[in-house]
Amino acid sequence: MISPAAARAALIVALLAIWELSIYLSGASNILIARPSQIAVAAWNMIVGASSAPDFYLNIGLTIFELVVAYAVAVVIGLSIGTVVANWKVLGDALEPLLLALYALPKVILYPIIVLTAGAGLAGKAFFGVLVGIFVIIFNTSAGLRQIDPNYLRLSDSLGFGPRRRFFSVILPAAAPTVLAGLRLGFGYTLIGVLTAELLTVNSGLGRLIDWASFNFYTPDLFALIFLAIGLGILGNMAFSSLERRWVR
Amino acid sequence: MAVIQATKISKTFYNPSESRAVKTLDDVSFSADKDEFVVLLGPSGCGKSTFLNILAGLTSHDRDGGKVTVHGRTVLAPQPDLIAYMFQDSILYPWRTVIKNVELGLETRAMSRAERRERAFKYLDLVGLRAYADHYPRQISGGMAQRVALCRSLALETEIILMDEPFGALDEQTRATLGSELASICRELKRTVVFVTHSLAEAAFLGDRIAVFSAQPGRIKIDIKNNLPRPRVMGSPEFRNFVDELWLHLQDAKQQAGAAPDRQGSPLGAT
Ligand SMILES: Nc1ncnc2c1ncn2[C@@H]1O[C@H](COP(=O)(O)OP(=O)(O)OP(=O)(O)O)[C@@H](O)[C@H]1O
Ligand SMILES: [Mg+2]
Repeated sequence: MISPAAARAALIVALLAIWELSIYLSGASNILIARPSQIAVAAWNMIVGASSAPDFYLNIGLTIFELVVAYAVAVVIGLSIGTVVANWKVLGDALEPLLLALYALPKVILYPIIVLTAGAGLAGKAFFGVLVGIFVIIFNTSAGLRQIDPNYLRLSDSLGFGPRRRFFSVILPAAAPTVLAGLRLGFGYTLIGVLTAELLTVNSGLGRLIDWASFNFYTPDLFALIFLAIGLGILGNMAFSSLERRWVR
Repeated sequence: MAVIQATKISKTFYNPSESRAVKTLDDVSFSADKDEFVVLLGPSGCGKSTFLNILAGLTSHDRDGGKVTVHGRTVLAPQPDLIAYMFQDSILYPWRTVIKNVELGLETRAMSRAERRERAFKYLDLVGLRAYADHYPRQISGGMAQRVALCRSLALETEIILMDEPFGALDEQTRATLGSELASICRELKRTVVFVTHSLAEAAFLGDRIAVFSAQPGRIKIDIKNNLPRPRVMGSPEFRNFVDELWLHLQDAKQQAGAAPDRQGSPLGAT
């Protein structure tokens, strides 16, 4: 029996080998596409500071910081709005179509306005990340709370649970799967928002690095940076997977 | 001596969409003695669940002089130390294992973790589910889930247990098995039980006494002592006779309410 992890690793290695060989044999231009080995070298050089990338760690750190700030804000505000909307039926029914309309809107169209008001720096980019990431958190929180089986609460009432125990022993675990799914998706969306903002505003952060690589036709570096962004998403997803394994049954 | 007593209980539901009041229960008086197993039998919609919820303090009743008392003290809110409630559905929390579900009601008590565990195992042993203690609810069958719910109620070790059609969602065979398990558990443990059902066979098999409800508004039409000797045998002639008697009372109750009897023929076929 081969384990899924081993199969996955084998698949990735095979793909990289095909990629490497086909570029090597076809002799395609290095400016158009890089080979995995070149990408690895470029990544290594950036990591050890041997490349001409401008302020590599500072810019990467800035993007991660934007992502963390944006996600923290999206989580706090998203959970709060979701909870209020779930418990206050009139407000929930009034807001739902508005929230859905905002959710469906391609947020990138609002970016110029955000740059005008919040600037093209950290605030503007984080704000854009929040805007992209928050809706799915709101919806899932409110859905998770609303769809709790009323029988769960009838039971806890019959057992004389007070409000605290009712919240921590019934409401929280009952809503957790849906809310956590919202937080996971919200992370992905926030990442998309922050990266979009980065690519539209190339003055600092990962956007600055990508601009540097593509402007100079440093294709291996460009690929390396893209893989780095993908890595951020995968890392976040793994964190959520482990959380869900622990909390959700 | 009556452990739980309800006097002149009425319940009116207001239907806001039609701005109409419906009297579901009208002047129901009822009592259960210590260690007695009383069955509430009646047609669907006659207010049995409503009445049981009022006994449990889960639902309010009309303020017109009626009251529910346990040992002479008025019940206004759930009394988890005195009354355990078992619902029609097992209502197990899917994020808890079987044993953690059994322990649920004990978590408000001043008990150590080990005491809770010991108590839970005691009742899981009683229904033969010790081996499933660490399973999650989705890994067990409906009949097993209902046994776990029974354990959860028994583990509270309250004097009174209220049961609202606890086996109603199960197939006939499982239902009969659980019924006889419950009968032997009750003989052993001595609890005061009020048990709602619309199954005649279940009522005749389990009840020391059977209160037959009539519908619209719900009233207790007749209160019958069940003198069948225990252990009871479901197919025996005396048992069939008693079921027939209950069937007639139930038909009367329906006709009184102005509703046509919904089925003629063998009462056992309608259980
Ligand atoms: N919360 C409520 N609001 C309005 N009406 C209600 C409410 N709960 C129950 N009723 C009404 O009271 C009547 C009795 O309901 P109840 O659930 O007590 O019947 P039941 O005897 O338990 O029936 P069944 O055997 O089907 O469970 C029904 O006609 C129902 O419409
Ligand atoms: Mg009912």
